[in-house]
Amino acid sequence: MRGLRRDQVRLLVLDRRRGAIEHTRFDQIGDYLLPGDLLVMNTSRVLPAALPARRRDGSRIQLRPCVRRPGAWDVLAVEPEPPHRNVILVAGELVEIGGRLFGRVIGRRPDIPLLWRIQVVDDNLDPFLLFGEPIRYSYVPEPVAIDYYHSVYSTQPGSAEPASAGRPFTWSLINRLRAQGVGGAEIILHTGLSSYQDDDFDREHRLFEERFEVGAETAEALRNAQRVVAVGTTVVRALESAVAPDGVVRPMRGWTDLAIRPGSELRAVDALVTGLHEPLASHFDMLEAFAGRGLLARAYKEAVERRYLWHEFGDSMLIV
Amino acid sequence: MEKLRGKVALITGASSGLGRAIALAYAREGASLSICARRDEALQQVCAAVHAFGAEVIAINADMRSDRDIERLVVLTLEKFGRVDILVNNASELGPTPLPHLADYPGHAFADVIDVNVTAPFRLTQALLGGMLLRGDGVVINVSSDVAVHGYPGWGAYAVSKAALDGLTRTWAAELEGTGVRIHAIDPGDMDTAMHRKALPEDDPAALARPEDVAEAFVWLAAASGPTPAVRLEASRLMEEAALV
Repeated sequence: MRGLRRDQVRLLVLDRRRGAIEHTRFDQIGDYLLPGDLLVMNTSRVLPAALPARRRDGSRIQLRPCVRRPGAWDVLAVEPEPPHRNVILVAGELVEIGGRLFGRVIGRRPDIPLLWRIQVVDDNLDPFLLFGEPIRYSYVPEPVAIDYYHSVYSTQPGSAEPASAGRPFTWSLINRLRAQGVGGAEIILHTGLSSYQDDDFDREHRLFEERFEVGAETAEALRNAQRVVAVGTTVVRALESAVAPDGVVRPMRGWTDLAIRPGSELRAVDALVTGLHEPLASHFDMLEAFAGRGLLARAYKEAVERRYLWHEFGDSMLIV
Repeated sequence: MEKLRGKVALITGASSGLGRAIALAYAREGASLSICARRDEALQQVCAAVHAFGAEVIAINADMRSDRDIERLVVLTLEKFGRVDILVNNASELGPTPLPHLADYPGHAFADVIDVNVTAPFRLTQALLGGMLLRGDGVVINVSSDVAVHGYPGWGAYAVSKAALDGLTRTWAAELEGTGVRIHAIDPGDMDTAMHRKALPEDDPAALARPEDVAEAFVWLAAASGPTPAVRLEASRLMEEAALV
């Protein structure tokens, strides 16, 4: 995006034990990892989830599906152009995508009134694959091809937004870490939306359910790991959701609405690789659970002073 | 014994010729298949034939010149099967016929041939490689040609594209060493296919290999265990050595 190789972005390292902050480059991350550490990656592949739709009166809207259950999808409905303000739909109305009937609006979702539940004609991914574009926020001024949003290991399709913490990894870096004795394991967590295009609502930092899967191989690898390094907050959410009452991660698949807040106890994850996002985001709450308010505030202050770049195509942070 | 039981294979350009033959051979050997082509009707017929072997199959209409079609192919395949073990980049664009010399070659046709024969295999391989590298297992087979190595007049953009595909394969093979993922380029030789008839209408079909026979080399290569086969192979030699004929 900046003409850089993925792994050439900057890396801010937060060492909790020493209370220290260091600045380096992402491809040097191996300096902070040890043999026996396990990098856990989210292999979910992002879908182009901004869908151009048409109401029966001919007006254009954009739908952003975030929770897909058989026959019924929960979608955010917004204006097709920036700033993508929310659009009020009417229960019972029909919506088209690509000139074909997409579904019938059932009504607002009771617990998230900004989301509309739509009874869909088909459960397949073609509305995304034939007509969708990646969801793009105002800080990305021009459209970006979907492969720039993918991590180099993304496989299982299903996210509405990229699990972008993994974006700076290249295969040459992963192979080098492997040779260094750092292990790798995978989970799947299909992300929902990071913004509901409503400042008041977004400020509440509410988190909703996301589909996830932790396999038996990963649960096994976790048992043998020295330190578990989550690549992204989605991995933290999946692993902490799969912790059984005895404190051990078990294979699990389903939906999670787990919220990790300042003071939450982390039982499955020891370290975190993450992007830099605005301090307002719910993301920040989870970082505080890792690093504590003081150290995190210092790190963000330094990041601002040194002009680190924010968001999915920006710089990165490692909390160890 | 079925040589590809439990494997998932994606084959491009599977509606006719060699691609169709590979799809049928892989299905016979127990693989699950994702097949794609531009011509939907012919593709659906192959889909039905593959299904008759009891293979699980998904047939996707796709144009290898389209980034959106390639992404859709990847997503629908991964959504259905969760992974791809064997990728066969077979779809090829011959270019205008009768074959013009390079001095007479239309520029946009040149670009089209490079898109289908080089850029699409690159994109598709890259998109599916992540899963293969995570598992430390996978095979990519690129369909090359004799014209990649020898300069024959009139083979124009097609020859250039196959030489580039050989280069792509060589570089990638070096980068994949030790990962458990293999990549090969295979020259299938002259076969009795629609493409061959278009390129060389005067050739006697009876003197050409049948795609069904050549497909056995692709079965062997996908299933190969033991010593790693060479990066670039010729189907005819492979078939003699492996006594496939």
